[in-house]
Amino acid sequence: MVDGINGETGREQLLEALRSIEMQTLIDLILIVITAYILGRIVTVVLSKLSENMSREGRIKVKMIIPAIRFVFYAIAFYNILMEIFSIFGPELFLLTGLLGAAIGFGVKDLFADFIGGIVITFEKPYQIGDKINIGNYYGEVRDIGLRATKLITPDDNTVTAPNSLIFNEAIASGNYGVSEMMVVIDLYIAGESDVKTAMRILRETVVSSKYIYVSEKRPVILLHKAFPFYTRLRAKAYVNDLRDEFEFESDVHTKAWIEFQKKNIRAPQLHILNIPPVGDEYESDRATRRNVGSDQRTGTGSESDSDSRKSFEL
Amino acid sequence: MGIQQSGDRAFSEILGLRDEIGDIQSAIADFEVGKKVNVAIIAGLLGGKTTLINEIEKLNLNRATRITFSGIIRDKEEISLPEDTMRVVLLDNCHFLYTRKPGGFDILYEFLDMISSQDRVFVTTWNLYSWKYLNGAFEIGKYFPVQILIPSLEKEGIRSLILKRYEEGEIIFNNGGESEKEPVIYIIPYPLELASLGRKIIIPVPKINIPYLKRRFLKEEEKGKKKEEETAEYRVFEKIHLESKGNPGVAVKVWELGLHYPHISPEKIGQFSYDIKLEYDEAFILHLILSYQGLKKDEIADMIGSTLRVNETIFRLLNQELIFKLEDDSFRVRPEALRSVIAYLEKLRLVW
Repeated sequence: MVDGINGETGREQLLEALRSIEMQTLIDLILIVITAYILGRIVTVVLSKLSENMSREGRIKVKMIIPAIRFVFYAIAFYNILMEIFSIFGPELFLLTGLLGAAIGFGVKDLFADFIGGIVITFEKPYQIGDKINIGNYYGEVRDIGLRATKLITPDDNTVTAPNSLIFNEAIASGNYGVSEMMVVIDLYIAGESDVKTAMRILRETVVSSKYIYVSEKRPVILLHKAFPFYTRLRAKAYVNDLRDEFEFESDVHTKAWIEFQKKNIRAPQLHILNIPPVGDEYESDRATRRNVGSDQRTGTGSESDSDSRKSFEL
Repeated sequence: MGIQQSGDRAFSEILGLRDEIGDIQSAIADFEVGKKVNVAIIAGLLGGKTTLINEIEKLNLNRATRITFSGIIRDKEEISLPEDTMRVVLLDNCHFLYTRKPGGFDILYEFLDMISSQDRVFVTTWNLYSWKYLNGAFEIGKYFPVQILIPSLEKEGIRSLILKRYEEGEIIFNNGGESEKEPVIYIIPYPLELASLGRKIIIPVPKINIPYLKRRFLKEEEKGKKKEEETAEYRVFEKIHLESKGNPGVAVKVWELGLHYPHISPEKIGQFSYDIKLEYDEAFILHLILSYQGLKKDEIADMIGSTLRVNETIFRLLNQELIFKLEDDSFRVRPEALRSVIAYLEKLRLVW
């Protein structure tokens, strides 16, 4: 009975406290939120603009600090709001937190999970702004990490907004992890009877002479060769100078390699061996935005010759 | 090249590369007692590698054969050694042994096979950026157990290098009429290369006039030279050293541009900063010119695959005064633009 009276009193006190909130206080709270948001946007825009004029290395370094700065603004805003609330409700705050807990539990739990995900991304850095990542079903360059969601630009120039809570359930692959160069895996398929040694030499020379390559002692070019019953796969693993040139790099290698292959009479695998009709062309952008199952899918574009060879791969 | 040759004579006399010469000579001596070694001398454009190999040639006159490559080598015959070739082979400008295109490395393979199989010691010179590229792509470093990276010259080295070309007292240093009184503190424009911005910027830095203070407070004896002239000379070479970053070829060029014979003053020493704006393809061609030290149009077109594109780019590079044309029709980076070009290409990570 005593508890019932106390509970009744508490609710009345809470209602009383809610009625006592002045308009000015509400305006202050809204202003704090707006100010934090505007400051966050200004920092994002200014630093992003600045970083685009910098070197490739500098661009990524500058962009890395954007989420942290924004988080500081939001943290300050949150602290101020909390202080305001505490000054209004005082001991009744426990009741309010109970209500808040219920709201989070039933209504906005996803939003809360995204928010926590944003904090984890800011400090743990599973990926950073400027990285090329696979998240959920998408692959692209991280352009913005907000408190709720991460924005990616896919190779087809689609902007994908992925909720931050994905990091709790999905494995995330970052192709470059904070550096400008990124490994690109380039596959070429040639007929089984081809001179593999010559083909490997051509592929190496094509890769290392590309204007997009970054090659050093720590970032070497690796060539692999695997023979299949009716064709041979040549695989080059090399670093592209700027991750934004990933597909140009691959295209450049494919184009030049096939010109050289033809000079040396190295042919693409022929489908007629098995009398199987050609498989329909796969739309490039589908590959680029599809859920990642390996690094091969990140290295999408190719020349006409490559399309031929890919058909045979899909036998 | 005029600039390099004019500097070479004096540079070889002062060198300041005793340790490097010693390393090369001991590598040759090791070879004579049965150890197989090859030497790579590596330096940037106008960095003094030809001068160093000239010095090595002088020291090994009776046992060395010298070959200089002056353009991209396309024929294997050009690198095959005649029978009377001596046991020490000096090869200058080995960065011309490859063409950056598919199928353009056959000469390099042949060369690497030659230097690893023949019973001779090969002392070679390479452009710094070509070397880094080839070492990353083909690991050529393992063929050269002795690698000599030519260091930058100190201020005194640059002073000696330049003044050796003149008689004592031939050049008159003055303060350019800026003020009759010697300043205790003066402002020196300090060139700073910011690879992150891809630019060379100039920051004014106050400096204490040390020669003046020495004379004033330590009462140092005059050595037959006017006080003001001594200070002006100090400041001239200080500015040249800062501008050239110790690159002898650039230092000589900066000197020549500031000299109004026989007068020179600190204010006449130019500060060169270029605001470079190029497309990626153009920057790549500029990088090729820097890496090969000098390229002709047809050589660039061979690598790029488009004569039209090369013409456009060369026009743009000439227009921005980043390169110049030599008598043999090859294009080179202007010495005074070298630091700006490197900063820009570092920004794009075309050189590193």
